[in-house]
Amino acid sequence: MVMRLKDIRVERNQRAILQNISGEFQRGKIYALLGPNGAGKSTLMQVMAQLLGSQGELEMAGQDARPLTPEKLAQQLAYLPQHSQLQFPLSVEEVLALATMPFELRRLEQRQQVKKAVALWGIEHLVAKDFRQLSGGEQQRCQLARTFIQLSNCADGGIWLLDEPTSSLDLEHQQQLQQICKQAAAAGHCIVLVLHDLNLAMGLADEVWVLEQGQLVAQGESQQVLTAELVKQVFKVNARTLEDGSGGRVFIYDQN
Amino acid sequence: MMKKLVASGWGWSLLLILSIFTCSLAVLQGSTDLEFLWSSQVGQNIIWQIRVPRVLLAFIVGASLSLAGALIQSIVRNPLADPGLIGVSGGAALGAAIVIVFFEASQIDFIASQYLIPVAAFAGGLIATIAVLHLGRTNINQADAGGSAALLILAGIAINVVAASLIGLLSYLASDSALRHITFWSLGSLASANYFWIALCGSALLLVCFWLPQQRRKLDAILLGNAEAKTMGVDVKRLHTQSIVALSLLAALAVSACGIIGFVGLVTPHISRMLVGASHQYLLVMCFFLGGILLVIADTFARTIVAPAELPIGIVTALIGAPVFIWLLMREGKRLQW
Repeated sequence: MVMRLKDIRVERNQRAILQNISGEFQRGKIYALLGPNGAGKSTLMQVMAQLLGSQGELEMAGQDARPLTPEKLAQQLAYLPQHSQLQFPLSVEEVLALATMPFELRRLEQRQQVKKAVALWGIEHLVAKDFRQLSGGEQQRCQLARTFIQLSNCADGGIWLLDEPTSSLDLEHQQQLQQICKQAAAAGHCIVLVLHDLNLAMGLADEVWVLEQGQLVAQGESQQVLTAELVKQVFKVNARTLEDGSGGRVFIYDQN
Repeated sequence: MMKKLVASGWGWSLLLILSIFTCSLAVLQGSTDLEFLWSSQVGQNIIWQIRVPRVLLAFIVGASLSLAGALIQSIVRNPLADPGLIGVSGGAALGAAIVIVFFEASQIDFIASQYLIPVAAFAGGLIATIAVLHLGRTNINQADAGGSAALLILAGIAINVVAASLIGLLSYLASDSALRHITFWSLGSLASANYFWIALCGSALLLVCFWLPQQRRKLDAILLGNAEAKTMGVDVKRLHTQSIVALSLLAALAVSACGIIGFVGLVTPHISRMLVGASHQYLLVMCFFLGGILLVIADTFARTIVAPAELPIGIVTALIGAPVFIWLLMREGKRLQW
């Protein structure tokens, strides 16, 4: 177990925006946080990344996570926020190199790690460019590569928190991301993604957590939890499932 | 190209040589005959008691304002921010205006202009910064990692408005001579430079220069966003507080020494970024030297162009800086297709 939440509650303006959230995240597994807009998915992710204060228990590797310094936390967890904006002329290479900051690495090692990640994500042609000049999808891939470098350095399996990582990616790069997530999970890391594409969640995630109005309404193995009834109840959309030919299922959405 | 040059040892040496060359040239500029300067005791006094301190202070103040500008722009992630934004200049101006209006009225003009005005300006700048920090901090502790910078700016704007309205009130009460004094002080001048101010401003600059190199990667990370920086191991609140203390110290001392000199803190970090990029490893070095060199040149213009009279240096920095800035902005705009 890499992270455990118990009775997590977040309030804003004396109104609970997240309540009664409990569960565990295991090493080597991929989790998807699902739910309609405003359900509290990103808020939950910010609680996990300790960017947002919360009530309840939050443990990492069996210890209370709250007293951890940002540096210790960064050695166990990498986080990609939903929106990111850079106003200053940093090059892609400079952005990527920042990922090694929490770890004591020699300059040569830092360069090698950046080079490896650049090759893995296929962004060799972007390395020398001004980050601001890239398209949304290119920026997203660079940010993914940055957090991946940080994750790779986390000893004993880190946590990779990705808030809507596929929002700007084309189909090819969505598949690339899935591939890399699976490899990272196989290497012992725990991956948590906020997703809107239920078919992607069903194909990629081992477990899903479904949120609605700040509460956890379903939690468990993706193939079992994600049903047409749940989609109707939570997303207010009529859906059917079809066999995908490889033992899994896909959703087909009907016009209401 | 400039980035590669600064990255190599050559860049450092080149900037250092350029700074020494500019300062030496500035010392020799003036209405007094060069031969007289070298050969007479009076000439030697002019060099060592007037021109050298003035040029040195100009370099130190320029470097201080420029570094303060780079710091505030980085921590609030806004290229339009300047040290005045967190209330330092407004508070300092208010402190100076209080002394000018009330103490000039009680006929202790000489003492006031020599010591009391800078001391009051420093106290005013510091009080304003503490007030801004306090206003911002109440909210920083409650807010998530994303909100603190904006709250800080809003607190700065509020304090600046209070300072400006009080200065307006003082101007209304002031005598003609006091009003003229306030105006001249608010446009800046290095005429009262001496070794005391060099030691004071120089020590603060040295202190910050020892602290800055350890923060350069943290400052780079903060450019990506507070949430990104925090999850990359940066204690964002601590870095914000330390940076504001450092830049307030630099800016408040600079303003105390020579009044309000606008534009340097805003423009120099911009020009530096266009030359060497935004990575603080190179940016801070560039800001230090470029800020110093630019203010030495501006001050040389200010004291020679209408000699034997003197232009307020704030006017010169704006007159030289603004067109250069517009040109650079247009060039950068074309490149990025804004």
